[in-house]
Amino acid sequence: MNSVALPSCSHLPVASGIGLRAAHHERVATERPGIAWLEVHTENFLGGGATPALLESLRGEYAISLHGVGLSLGSAEGLDQDHLSRIAALVRRVEPAAVSDHLSWSVTGGVYFNDLLPVPYDEEALAAIARNVMRFQEAIGREVMVENPSTYLRHAQSDRAEPQFLAELCQRSGCGLLLDVNNVFVSAENHGDDARAYLAAIAPLPIGEIHLSGHHLRQIGNRSIRIDDHGSPVSDQVWALYEQALALIGPRPTLVEWDSALPPLETLLAEADKAQTRLDHAMRSTA
Amino acid sequence: MDLSRIEHTFQDGLLGRSQDILRQLRGNARESAETMFAVYRNAYWSRLAEALGNDFPALKALMGDQAFDRMARAYIARHPSQHPSIRWAGRNLPAFLAAEAPYRDEPWFTDMARFDWGLAFAFDAAAAPAAGLANLAGVPPEFWGSIRLRFHPTLDAFPVSTPVDEARPRLLENAAIALDRQARCARAIMVWRVEHDVRFRAIDPLEHAALEAMQAGATFGAMCELVARQAGLDAAPARAAQILQGWLEWGAVAIVEHDELGSAA
Repeated sequence: MNSVALPSCSHLPVASGIGLRAAHHERVATERPGIAWLEVHTENFLGGGATPALLESLRGEYAISLHGVGLSLGSAEGLDQDHLSRIAALVRRVEPAAVSDHLSWSVTGGVYFNDLLPVPYDEEALAAIARNVMRFQEAIGREVMVENPSTYLRHAQSDRAEPQFLAELCQRSGCGLLLDVNNVFVSAENHGDDARAYLAAIAPLPIGEIHLSGHHLRQIGNRSIRIDDHGSPVSDQVWALYEQALALIGPRPTLVEWDSALPPLETLLAEADKAQTRLDHAMRSTA
Repeated sequence: MDLSRIEHTFQDGLLGRSQDILRQLRGNARESAETMFAVYRNAYWSRLAEALGNDFPALKALMGDQAFDRMARAYIARHPSQHPSIRWAGRNLPAFLAAEAPYRDEPWFTDMARFDWGLAFAFDAAAAPAAGLANLAGVPPEFWGSIRLRFHPTLDAFPVSTPVDEARPRLLENAAIALDRQARCARAIMVWRVEHDVRFRAIDPLEHAALEAMQAGATFGAMCELVARQAGLDAAPARAAQILQGWLEWGAVAIVEHDELGSAA
């Protein structure tokens, strides 16, 4: 039972969880590792096949979070109704503890980029995204969380900072926020911003979940750019920022994501243990 | 610029059609918008190429990493992803390989792509219970000719002209094995799923023709006539019964239907 009150967008346990990926399906299904919750990419479970059945079999033991990467909440042309209907059917079937997607767009004119592309932070985009989020929430009958993206550039016509944009989005649509601490760090480093100031600005929002993951440095010309690839352990700087986030926001369900160069399940669980240690400390501090 | 225009212009930049988007973007104090936009453009191509590699592992092993990557980029340029899930990005790849030079000149590529895709499709397709031989036991002999089958929804069957069914497991174990690339055969491959277990089986052209006929709604009686035309009247009854029995034993059939007493005119 959570002793920490979460915003109504999240029913996850205030504990660490792991992202469940295909290479670990069999081991998690048979060995049932000791972890409080699992998050999956929604789009990988929309077929009628073996994967949704796996999720159903796990949901009695683990809280499940459905994390979308393909709804394209930032699309000017609105949401794909077929895709939305498939997600709604999965939500009915799995009854997840949380549902989320990203502050980004990925499709236009029927071409899907299967990426999380940046939106301008201005009034027109805010109105469009709030509309899309509300439609998403109506379709599944519950509040969702929207995740802050990693960005590598900004639109010239943006007239407000990302935390302000997210605050207005939460206020207009009634959604919550999924705070990805690695994304905060990657974006801040790439743009030359202050990650701690970002956290302070975003702390009052209804944050129902935190993400942690790894990134890598890519050399371009004579400087390094941080690329968010979920392919390595959480960096020391991101752990430090996570501790700062917990101090500002309070304990929150925390996911360790790993997508590329997926390590053995034990490595992933060990990363989740590190998050749990910090969560336990934050719980004691708030008790 | 309105949001819709921005997204279309961004798309043109990702696909290399124009650089107009750069005027709408800001880099940062250290890097130009052009440099940072390249992060997105490179990620677009490499992410899709990587996804195709995951969905077509045996084709990738067959072609080699570099040749596969070149092919994947040519395919993506011709067939951009049209589905919210990257999982479906490769659905046109077998047809692309069959139609495009130089790939169309190597039947192994099309056949292996079709096989990889068939296995992936069977994994994702909707589940359904399978019928078994017991479902035949209750059919009165006089109604056998009226038997119709509804096949398992995961079933896929396709003809190949190369022995990819034999080569695939060996290639996945060791991409460097020497294959006889001149080897040719006439067969089809059936792929389906039982519970969580994806299965496949090579069948001869006669059985494939029988399967296609019954998938299209032909009765067992009509299938027997088809078999008789190709295998001869004497061999047909045993061969047709053997084919039917195989499908049921393997779990490739979902429902066995037949006329009931009094149902026929």
